[in-house]
Amino acid sequence: MPKLNIKDLEEIRKKVRKAALLREGISNAKITVHMGTCGIAAGARPIMNALIKIVEESGRDDVIVTTSGCAGLCSREPMATVELKGETPVKYGDLTEDKIKKIFSEHVLKGKIVEEYALVIGSEREP
Amino acid sequence: MGNKKVGSVLVVGAGIAGIQSSLDLANSGFKVYLLEQTPAIGGVMAQLDKTFPTNDCAMCIVSPKLVDCGRHPNIEIITNAELGKVVGEAGNFKVVVKKKPRYVDEDKCTGCAACTQNCPVSIALYPVEKIYIKLKDEDLRRVKPILEKYRDQKGNLLPILQQINKEFRYLPEDILRYVSDELNVHLADIYNIVTFYNAFNLEPRGKHIVTVCIGTACHVQGAPGLIEALEDELGIKVGETSKDMSFTLETARCFGCCGLAPVITVNEDVHGKLKRADIPRIVKHYKSMEEKQDA
Amino acid sequence: MAYRTHLMVCTGTACVSCGAFNIKKLLEEEIKKQKLDKEILVVGTGCQGFCAQGPIVVVQPDDIFYQLLSPEDIPFLVEEHFLKGRPVKKMMYTPPGEKIQIPTVSEIGFFSKQRLIALRNKGLIDAEKIDDYIGRDGYNALIKVLTSMSSEDIIKEIKNSGLRGRGGGGFPTGLKWDICKNSKGEPKYIICNADEGDPGAYMDRSIVESDPHAVIEGMLIGAKAIGAQQGFVYIRTEYPLAIHRLEVAIEQAQEYGLLGKDILGKGFDFDLEIKQGAGAFVCGEETSLIHSIEGISPEPSQRPPFPAESGLWGKPTNINNVETWANVPRIILRGADWFAGIGTEKSKGTKVFSLVGKINNTGLVEVPMGITLKEIIYDIGGGVPGGKKFKGVQIGGPSGGVVPASLIDLPVDYEKLTEVGSMMGSGGMVVVDEDTCMVDLARYFLEFTSDESCGKCASCREGSSAMLEILTRITEGKGKEGDIEFLEELGYAIKDASQCGLGQTLPNPVLSTIDNFRDEYEAHIKNKKCPAHVCKALISFHIDPDKCTGCTVCAIKCPADAISGNRKEPHIIDQDKCIKCGICYTVCKFDSVKVE
Repeated sequence: MPKLNIKDLEEIRKKVRKAALLREGISNAKITVHMGTCGIAAGARPIMNALIKIVEESGRDDVIVTTSGCAGLCSREPMATVELKGETPVKYGDLTEDKIKKIFSEHVLKGKIVEEYALVIGSEREP
Repeated sequence: MGNKKVGSVLVVGAGIAGIQSSLDLANSGFKVYLLEQTPAIGGVMAQLDKTFPTNDCAMCIVSPKLVDCGRHPNIEIITNAELGKVVGEAGNFKVVVKKKPRYVDEDKCTGCAACTQNCPVSIALYPVEKIYIKLKDEDLRRVKPILEKYRDQKGNLLPILQQINKEFRYLPEDILRYVSDELNVHLADIYNIVTFYNAFNLEPRGKHIVTVCIGTACHVQGAPGLIEALEDELGIKVGETSKDMSFTLETARCFGCCGLAPVITVNEDVHGKLKRADIPRIVKHYKSMEEKQDA
Repeated sequence: MAYRTHLMVCTGTACVSCGAFNIKKLLEEEIKKQKLDKEILVVGTGCQGFCAQGPIVVVQPDDIFYQLLSPEDIPFLVEEHFLKGRPVKKMMYTPPGEKIQIPTVSEIGFFSKQRLIALRNKGLIDAEKIDDYIGRDGYNALIKVLTSMSSEDIIKEIKNSGLRGRGGGGFPTGLKWDICKNSKGEPKYIICNADEGDPGAYMDRSIVESDPHAVIEGMLIGAKAIGAQQGFVYIRTEYPLAIHRLEVAIEQAQEYGLLGKDILGKGFDFDLEIKQGAGAFVCGEETSLIHSIEGISPEPSQRPPFPAESGLWGKPTNINNVETWANVPRIILRGADWFAGIGTEKSKGTKVFSLVGKINNTGLVEVPMGITLKEIIYDIGGGVPGGKKFKGVQIGGPSGGVVPASLIDLPVDYEKLTEVGSMMGSGGMVVVDEDTCMVDLARYFLEFTSDESCGKCASCREGSSAMLEILTRITEGKGKEGDIEFLEELGYAIKDASQCGLGQTLPNPVLSTIDNFRDEYEAHIKNKKCPAHVCKALISFHIDPDKCTGCTVCAIKCPADAISGNRKEPHIIDQDKCIKCGICYTVCKFDSVKVE
């Protein structure tokens, strides 16, 4: 391994920055894929894998992909919730790989809610 | 001859014999010149630990005499000097003394020893006596690499002793003598280091080393009770090894696992949050392990 | 490959002794089995501080805290949480006395009240991966000092920050560096003191285990400021895991050229070497530590000359403690003003304490200076377990003193602790409750110091044994009128006449317990009673015949065969045979064994 100069060090930092941010839980956007038994049966796993790939390709290091249990609306699985920092969460249903791609590029990157796929805007929980 | 003492006496060599002669002579009224070749009086006895045949402490015998000699008004000590020529006859000798230079102003030096401590070159006043220990081939094979690894390093004695202690699980005497020979370090200096630190052992230890943490957290959470229980269970006291060489009981100051207090370790295994009543179970576990291995 | 979830498995010494390495292995296997190994990464971190609850796993980014895990839990946990996305409640933390679990780290009082500087990377990085450290702004401060700061700038920054030595003395770090820099003599050395000998304190071990590169970076900055090219880390041999992680860290830094010649191409040379101690408490004293590295008998020597003028091999040497070094990179990066904004007037920044003893949440906590003892013990520590009465807290190890319960609102900083007869020391906080005998505690510390006294000064060598003898006599019920006064007189004499810190502070535990708990001493001496029921010679065990159901458990467990009685009839203890081990007291389910 050759010795590093300052530029090399910055390169390494950039490369591992995402993992560091993830561990700190610092993010501007959080996408939760609902992975209850029903979700998995309906194909949530490929959606999840596709999503991880999309996020990685986009180079955004402030987006967190996480999972949760069944959202309760099993008929509309696979589902995902997109939560931008400081905004109300939006639930999307009946996802496919293409849909999640569009949701990512429109909603997460540009901030525009993709209304045609959206199920609910806002959380069912008490704020 | 009458009782009137005249003249003076020259005593050559300030070992224990010379010192005693000087004191006797001076006390009976003679002026004594005490001549010594090395820079200090005391000779060989001052370097000994015990004296034959009574095993008396050598320093305890010689040191009061050194002090008496130094402050006796009738004794003049001439160190770092040699006898040159002696002419004349009994009652009237003339002596030439060759005094070697000290290169320090003797009037001003208070003997504070600051210069010797800071001198980068060390000269052994009494060179280390080589004993040429012959080690068993197997031991030699284990010691050699350790010595070679650290031989040229500054301050290498501590790491060497640590490695040997790790390798043999204690510090065997003949190996320490060998190290002393190889590194040209006095055995006494090695002994000084070895007894200063808690991590070294001069006795062989058992197969299972049971260590009870007696850090503060473990103390308030009941470590003393664990020690009692272990002593009962193993039939040995702290610091001892069982006759069959299977257990050694020791204590240590804090493993840094205070969250698990009270803690004991058996070799590498840590057992935490113990109660006195847990001890028989743990000891039994290791005893049965032993039996299984034997079988 | 990007992972969606990172599992931060605590692999500090305490968790490892509870089987953390096994948990980590099982997690990895189980995740592979469920084909999640491309999504979930298992990371072994350094100590996360909450040692009482180990083994610990924190799930990031969700911040979910799992504790007290056993190998049997793992398959269920992986399936439920990581495959199905349902966090498992029963493995979460429940505060003592409550019933509802707290899922996330940030909501647990133990963590949320802390403020992390020296421990900022705990639980967030794999200590054996330099890249992880770099990702968390690691070696940024080094870049800053190498590109835009002169050594005067660095020293000025450290001086302005108000950073003081975290090893116990509290000497201003910037000033120390300045003296060493201006001392004549080449080469200069810097040393990191990781010989954490205080029983009951383990923050240095934890920092080295969880974030070794922070120490290395701090030392690099110090070396640049002082003009040193060689550094040593003197570390206790009792800390094998910390030594291993430090070795790995040094190797990686050397590979990246962050140690060695021409660091980052900026023409600065510095290298680091590990020296292992061999278990002598006095080696934490700086002159003694230096002698130990030199390989000669490690007795302290007279100061002045201070090591900054004449230290290792007679050269100017700067020694700082692990925690001090770990603070340095953050100060350089975030500026002196930021650091000086935390803490009290004379004590800046944070301090790591190891909170142990009779407390619910044992572990390592980093808090801003000036926080009150009450906040530490109740809000973070969760109070004293078992509904017992809080009696005091022993701060600063064998050199410190006991702060009694009446001073619980005391803000913790260097000056305030010294005022009440204790000291910051390295930061060991041992909480004691009504079941701890203060005379016995003082005797315990004296036993330690008299054992560890190097023997150079008569006052320390003989004085400590004399004090120990008196204290032992008192705990054996043979105390005499005048013992207390004599202990005090002896204590002050030892303080005045000893050369190094060990001797000067060893009477503290005795003097402070006499000051605050004189009634306990008097109870031992005059009434021949131990109020805390600890000192064996002064207590006896009895069975209350009204409560005893004759279950025979005590008689079976008694190692001395001192308990007799028929089944279903009240038992009795033969006082001549009783060895006062207390087993009957602990095993009785009906509360019938009484101590007097």
